[in-house]
Amino acid sequence: MKILAVTTSLSEDSTTQKLSDRIVDAAASAGRAAGLTVETDHINVRSLSTALTDMALTGFRSEELEEAYRKVAEADAIVTVTPVYKVAPVGLHTLFWQLIDEKALAGTPVLIASTGGTSRHSLAGETAMRPMLSYLKGIVVPTTVFAATDDWGSAEGGRALNSRVRQAGEELVALTASIRGLTGGESGEDGEVDGNEGPDSLAPHRITIGRGEKRGVDDEFDPNRITPFAQLLEG
Amino acid sequence: MEFGIFTIGDVTTDPTDGTTISERQRIKNTVELAKKAEEVGLDVFATGQHHNPPFVAPANPPVLLANIAAQTEKLQLSTATTLITTTDPVRIAEDYSYAQHLADGRLDLIMGRGNTGPVYPWFGKDIRAGIPLAVENYNLLYRLWREKNLDWEGKFRTPLNGFTVTPWPLDDVPPFVWHGSIRSPEIAEQAAYYGDGFFHNNIFWPTSHTARMVQLYRQRYEYYGHGRADQAIVGLGGQVFMRKNSQDAVKEFRPYFDNAPVYGHGPSLEDFAKQTPLTVGSPQEVIERTLSFRDWAGDYQRQMFLIDHAGLPHKTVLEQLDLLGEEVVPVLRKEFAKNRPADVPDAPTHESLVLRHKEGRDPIPGGGPGSQAYKDREARAAEAEQARQEAAKADAEKKAEAETGAQTE
Repeated sequence: MKILAVTTSLSEDSTTQKLSDRIVDAAASAGRAAGLTVETDHINVRSLSTALTDMALTGFRSEELEEAYRKVAEADAIVTVTPVYKVAPVGLHTLFWQLIDEKALAGTPVLIASTGGTSRHSLAGETAMRPMLSYLKGIVVPTTVFAATDDWGSAEGGRALNSRVRQAGEELVALTASIRGLTGGESGEDGEVDGNEGPDSLAPHRITIGRGEKRGVDDEFDPNRITPFAQLLEG
Repeated sequence: MEFGIFTIGDVTTDPTDGTTISERQRIKNTVELAKKAEEVGLDVFATGQHHNPPFVAPANPPVLLANIAAQTEKLQLSTATTLITTTDPVRIAEDYSYAQHLADGRLDLIMGRGNTGPVYPWFGKDIRAGIPLAVENYNLLYRLWREKNLDWEGKFRTPLNGFTVTPWPLDDVPPFVWHGSIRSPEIAEQAAYYGDGFFHNNIFWPTSHTARMVQLYRQRYEYYGHGRADQAIVGLGGQVFMRKNSQDAVKEFRPYFDNAPVYGHGPSLEDFAKQTPLTVGSPQEVIERTLSFRDWAGDYQRQMFLIDHAGLPHKTVLEQLDLLGEEVVPVLRKEFAKNRPADVPDAPTHESLVLRHKEGRDPIPGGGPGSQAYKDREARAAEAEQARQEAAKADAEKKAEAETGAQTE
């Protein structure tokens, strides 16, 4: 299972980056506990800021941006984390998702998280990110994670945050495993845990959106996948 | 292989001195540019079609092309592009037929959809139907140029009853058609289906993407049985700015690049040149870059250059044309001819199309007998027929059973 973090960390070692790392770790250990092989990768949207602006202004797609979007299309699960400014996700973060190919995220489970100064910003993920990712046909997990300064500063806050992170991570892994039809026995090289305790047991109904159904950024140019012209002619 | 220039007729303020030439001057300059293209030994001149400022490319390209035809001898005239979505196919058929006669056959077209939403309603169309319009309109145009007394009915215009295009295409052979698209696989598929050419403007997008579009077209061309993939008819654009010294070229072109319509105020000249075919440098650099297109596009038929945009002064543009004609194209001709398989065709000309027509070798849309497309269609039809028969048999058995049942009772 490939888990990709798409995170906008505006400064080095930001709280957004910390939260992103924690969530990815939590999801990865939930996956490993279920006997799955987990790979993680990370995109910092900050490094794409010029490329995103160029594309928005001129339609020019740089190679680094193409590469980032290709990674999204190939990931089994996405964790996306943004700082919240003035009760909305920072513009750079939304721009990344606004410029992505329409089909790149379709059918992929996504976990939303955000950071802000106070808890008054906590619904930004729900009100801005969830509709946008749903529009892209991403499958957003029920739990979103928000972390404010309080959560990092107090023992109580920290415990509550940890538990939300764990909960969301487990949801992401369970959803991904059921959609991709993964079980500990099938794909886990380190699959010492019995499949019954794994995410498969959380998902009695397998959704048949296999990997084969997923369209990557560039797949529309595959000669075997295009709509034959006779069909276009018929309208 | 053919070499030429294409223009979008933009009237852009020269960012270095703030001057903007008049529409009249831009139009006259365009004619002079085409005439000079022939003088310096280029093969093709192509004009865009536009309906809005800052462009003065013609709203109907045959007007300009007929004027140029009257002042040239050998130059092939083309478009980049003809808007197949918003222009009535009946008008395209008649106007280009007329221009084809005037030009003694030195005329072809690149079909394009146009990319700005507001243009569509000016002609009673809707951009959301861009692809369906391109599909239906071209299908009608294709038939208009080949069937007299045509009866036709479609979604996007009034029906035709017993209509014949006037004038009829020269020597019964319509102008050759290329289909241009930057990113729509449907258009590459359309070009392949008809056995027409495919043109990629090769300006704004990374080479890796353009390569995929060209490969898609080539493979589908073979699928529809018009020839091998490497025999498909491919045209590419590209943009260049040259001075004897590479550094002089970069220094002079930078303000034009930075303020150019479309990509100005975006990526740096260096980034853009690295990832797209834009080449700013010496003639030798342009030669090397252009030759490298063959590495990803295969042997192709037509190379077009954009040289007259972004507010560059006319004098500078004419100097570019001199460099192309004297130093670049002669070398490209020689180098592209090396190792080119003998059975990879040249770009079609009126004469080659007349011969093809007389010999009964016109491409069959959708693929004739012997093509994989034809075999697949036959197989699907056989499958459907078998399913139909099995269903009929099952029906009959059921009926018989019911009757037997009734008798026993």
